[in-house]
Amino acid sequence: MLTFIDYVLGGVANGAVIALMALAIVLIWRSSRVVNFAQVGQAMITTYVGYSVQRATGSWLLALVVALIAGAALGLFVYLLVLRPVRRLDSSGAIIATFGVLISLQAIAAMTWGGDLVAFPQPFPASGIEFAGRIWPISVYDLVVLGVAAALVLSLSLFLTRTSVGLAMRASAFNPEVVRLSGINVSRMLALGWGVAGVVGAIAGVLIAPISSLSPNSFDLLLILAFTAAVIGGLDSLVGAIAFGLGAGLVTSIVTGYASAEDAPIVALALLAVTLVVKPNGFFAHAGNREV
Amino acid sequence: MLTRSRLPIHLPAFVLLWIVLSQLNNFIDPLLSSYLALAAMYATAMLGMVILVGLSGQVSLGNGALMAVGGYAFAVSSMNWTTVPFLGLPWNAVYSVIVAGFAGIVIGFIVGIVGARLRGPYLAGLTLGLAVGIPAIASRLPGILGGNQGLILTVPYPVGGYTAEIAGESAADAEAALNDALGGVASDTASSAPSAMASSDMLTMDDVTGGSSAQALPEASAVPSTDMLTLDDVQSGASGMPIDPSAAPIDPSAIPIDPSAIPIDPSALPDSGAAVIDPGFILERWQGSVAIAVACIAGFIALNLVRGRQGRVWRAVRDDPIAAAVSGIDPAGAKVSAFVVSSFFAALAGAVYAQILAYVGPSAFTVGLSLSLLVGVVLGGRSSLMGAAIGAVLIVGLPIVIASIADGRDWPTQIASNAPSLAYGLLVVLVVLVAPAGVVGLIRRRRS
Repeated sequence: MLTFIDYVLGGVANGAVIALMALAIVLIWRSSRVVNFAQVGQAMITTYVGYSVQRATGSWLLALVVALIAGAALGLFVYLLVLRPVRRLDSSGAIIATFGVLISLQAIAAMTWGGDLVAFPQPFPASGIEFAGRIWPISVYDLVVLGVAAALVLSLSLFLTRTSVGLAMRASAFNPEVVRLSGINVSRMLALGWGVAGVVGAIAGVLIAPISSLSPNSFDLLLILAFTAAVIGGLDSLVGAIAFGLGAGLVTSIVTGYASAEDAPIVALALLAVTLVVKPNGFFAHAGNREV
Repeated sequence: MLTRSRLPIHLPAFVLLWIVLSQLNNFIDPLLSSYLALAAMYATAMLGMVILVGLSGQVSLGNGALMAVGGYAFAVSSMNWTTVPFLGLPWNAVYSVIVAGFAGIVIGFIVGIVGARLRGPYLAGLTLGLAVGIPAIASRLPGILGGNQGLILTVPYPVGGYTAEIAGESAADAEAALNDALGGVASDTASSAPSAMASSDMLTMDDVTGGSSAQALPEASAVPSTDMLTLDDVQSGASGMPIDPSAAPIDPSAIPIDPSAIPIDPSALPDSGAAVIDPGFILERWQGSVAIAVACIAGFIALNLVRGRQGRVWRAVRDDPIAAAVSGIDPAGAKVSAFVVSSFFAALAGAVYAQILAYVGPSAFTVGLSLSLLVGVVLGGRSSLMGAAIGAVLIVGLPIVIASIADGRDWPTQIASNAPSLAYGLLVVLVVLVAPAGVVGLIRRRRS
């Protein structure tokens, strides 16, 4: 039982980061009905930007702030340059375009920072916390990750439900024509959605980099897990993304603990397949957006 | 499905295409032959992508995994079966290709049934899961599928026995360069594990007993030179393929890097009795001829499907599923059949790929491979079979062109090695924005 608790605790920080990345994917899906596969690519670039800032100044906090700004800028950039022009086309065009962006971003990162792994410094102790006479496999940094993720989710949901801008964003995703008639600039709302998602992704990247490592491809597994979590959650639902993102982190940790790390993708595939057979639109999808 | 009136035109056209390509294959430089083999292999898989993505409107990020199904079916059947069941005919590679195609149909049917219910992003999620999951499953089955190390297969060549390990290298090098260039998503999740494990991994007797003609070996690039086959391992191979252990080219440094220099000189080969090599036998050309033959057959089948009733059914369901259903078409059935056909072509391509590499393993069928199929089809033109051929040429040719541009210029390696990947990414975005019908669309637009 104690082993099980250890495995669960070991997956918490990872799960929080997967949840944030899934949240970014869901935010973009809700605002523009596009799955942004470039999300992890954007996060990877902004994490590299943060890494460069950290190397230059030595300040982790400054790195985080710069990464956030870069995340918002990159999200806007991708939306304005690629996705807004492509949106009138079919959905497969949009999916393919985001993959084009992902491939380009990875190439740019490899050109700029090289393909090797770099170590992102840890701002807080990485050793396990000692409590009740034993060392638990969770560090101060893991708790910080969890806290930042929780604060972010809370402020996002307040923003989306309690502010007029947030309401306008949700309304634009729900029914653009009517919203346009009531005088809201829908395109600006979509751009805002991409910017906010970029910020969330950037935070996820900076948080995960110290506990994994940073390379142009190091977030690929994160993409797959976050995307799986978002899809199982129903793509529409913030709650679903967070719950299944955390769940994906825990399952990965437990499977890795009891079997091996190589079994984690198989379990993810099995869970995804079963979910999609039982619930083709995920668990928390809103009714009424089902096609034939 | 075959429209009778068109068959007399299509059949001679493809026979002619096959003759022209085979003759071309026999006259060009062996290095170009190995590129031609890769292009024909990609074209076969991309025919399936055109039908699935272009005609039936289902975006698949996992056709590389369906290629893995074909590749493994090819490898396992050619290693374990010496005669055709019930008929008793001696087994050869053609039967293995048929087995691979059949395996593709079965898996494609299963995936298609699940996939037909799903909308765009959910289907993309499922197929992305396949692309990651199927190689992971293979890596967890060390018994039949060779686990992380995969299977090195001795390809049944037309003349004599020949150490297949040398065989795959030229194409494998080219392919590795391609995969690097594409910067496969999650390729590190699949391929970094074996390289970490390889050093401690020795062959056991079990790997080679039971009439198998293949040995489970670590991937060549991942094998440290100390990791040699032992004599016992090799001599127990029951298929009559004597391999001189000292010459078994497991040491990567022993493998000639220049592909054009590999198979021509028979005196450089292991001095073993059965290895009678025709001096005129050039491995790249043989690989090219196999890949071309399969691609031509696949192209013939695809063209007849697409131009016939089935093609109209797929397009009808893609454009308006409700209208199609009203006209008596079963939309779900059409989607499943597109998956089955696509998976069949992917599996054929996987079988050819296994022959080209002389290897199947998780590191050969990465997510990057799946993505390169999608990229190629989008660049070539996703709603035309011609787009598959053009896309295959682009996927194989672009890194070569960029390498020749970089050559002689003062580009740092970091820039030069990632330039093809950046070019692919930007081209994909550009094509989706400016020319959604790809190169084929551009050609047609100019003509009209």
